Amino acid sequence: MKRKLIVITALMFVMPMVVQADAISQLQADYQAKGAGPFSAAAGEALWNKPFKDAKSGKERRCTTCHTTDLTQAGKHLRTGKVIEPMAPSANPKRLTKIKKIKKWFVRNCKWTLGRECTAQEKGDLLAFLKSL
Amino acid sequence: MQTQTEENPVAEITQARIWNIPVRLFHWMLVSCFITAWLTRDDRYLDIHLFAGYLMAALILFRLLWGVIGGPYARFGDFAFGWREAWGYTKMALKGCPPRFIGHNPAGSWGIYLLLGLGSLIAITGLLALGGEEGHGPLAGLLNRPQGALAHDLHELLAWVMLGAVAVHLLGVLVESILHRENLIGSMITGYKSVPPGTVSATASRPVAAFMLVATIAAGFSWFYGYLVETPEQPYRPFIGQQLPDNALWREECGACHLAFHPSLLPARSWRVMMQQQASHFGEDLFLEQDAIDEITTFMADNAAEQELTEAAWKINQSIPETETPLRITETQYWIDKHSEISMQIWESPKVNGKVNCAACHLDADDGTFEDAAMRIPVEEDQSSTVLFNEMFQKAARYFSFNSAPPNRLDDKG
Repeated sequence: MKRKLIVITALMFVMPMVVQADAISQLQADYQAKGAGPFSAAAGEALWNKPFKDAKSGKERRCTTCHTTDLTQAGKHLRTGKVIEPMAPSANPKRLTKIKKIKKWFVRNCKWTLGRECTAQEKGDLLAFLKSL
Repeated sequence: MQTQTEENPVAEITQARIWNIPVRLFHWMLVSCFITAWLTRDDRYLDIHLFAGYLMAALILFRLLWGVIGGPYARFGDFAFGWREAWGYTKMALKGCPPRFIGHNPAGSWGIYLLLGLGSLIAITGLLALGGEEGHGPLAGLLNRPQGALAHDLHELLAWVMLGAVAVHLLGVLVESILHRENLIGSMITGYKSVPPGTVSATASRPVAAFMLVATIAAGFSWFYGYLVETPEQPYRPFIGQQLPDNALWREECGACHLAFHPSLLPARSWRVMMQQQASHFGEDLFLEQDAIDEITTFMADNAAEQELTEAAWKINQSIPETETPLRITETQYWIDKHSEISMQIWESPKVNGKVNCAACHLDADDGTFEDAAMRIPVEEDQSSTVLFNEMFQKAARYFSFNSAPPNRLDDKG
């Protein structure tokens, strides 16, 4: 009985990490199936900090515009001021654990920041970069 | 006292206590309540306004009781003048020779009955409005919102009538003070009047007065206690609205980028259009899946402004013409009117950061209840009291602008 409890408790701590690894590696496998890869955290980081010019406003946009450069800290939505929880899984274990959520935010945020959807290569690199934090 | 230096035909004049302390306390506390309630009639100060109102109602109830047991000059029996006597006295006063009464004169007595009656009606209509429009107070739910709004209109009308009655009262005090060469205002402060010898004196009634003060302070302390224990993270909310329908998916999806604006803030047709246009949601592609769109749309339509879940919902919906489908809450007339006094400086301050951030001021924005008085305009800590004071002062100046000197008057150098 006691042993069972210990195992369950241990699992409760380990599970999130397993799931997280799962979601990221599963997505990266999908991207590889589309011909992308191998993925590099360095390329992801470069993209994360790369400025893009918004066609309409002419203003510069980057991932860091809202998420800031310190991903262990909370960011802020540019227009609404809404707090964005930290992106780094080390600071926010819930991050990058749900495939559906990752996909949705890639569409939304790539469109806003880059003005287009990200390629499979870019997405894989970004995940590699974020995973390392 | 100055009037007493005049030559007086009556040789022997003594001083006697005419107004006991409870009568005087009642008088000046009623004055304070009326002024306070008048200055706090903006929704933002509803809790202060209500305290002034409840205190006024309690004072009137006390005065009715004191009118029975309160001793000479305070008892209604001592100034139960008929209408003819009041009119007769008024005619004499207009001729410049009213007879002198030690206690209340017949016209003044009618003024007192009128003010007590108006005060009672104002308290009752106020409670009806509070119960009908806001769903708070002892009469919550007795009236529906349109009826509550009617009570609110009546409440305001009666307050203006009472202001007029106060003006007449002041005029009467002034006229009588001049005609009888005595300081009636001073008497209402000290309680004493110059009287012929042998006049009955009122007892001070200190214990009753002490009870009034202690009860008022205790009531004020318990009413405003929340402000004493609030923290910057958890500001005190004087009113907690009833819990509104919630939906986890709606809160997660909509609340990810901005405040999850409660469905009650726009009509169903607005939410439907907004959810249909989700690929261009104020410049962003939401990329929601169809089942998520369906669930959120249903939740929003079911609890939209037409359902009148809150006072704000009812008023917002009323202010939108049926031919229009606003996609922003800030485009509705009710919202515009309600926020017209907020300066650009406040909108642009870093803590507010634009009109999208309801929660910057509305403490219950996340709950969607948008209660009156559940709002704080963020200001720098060290300025807050000054700003509030200035605001109150400007309001006071606006309402009583006839007191201020004409601003552009040229000096008369002739």
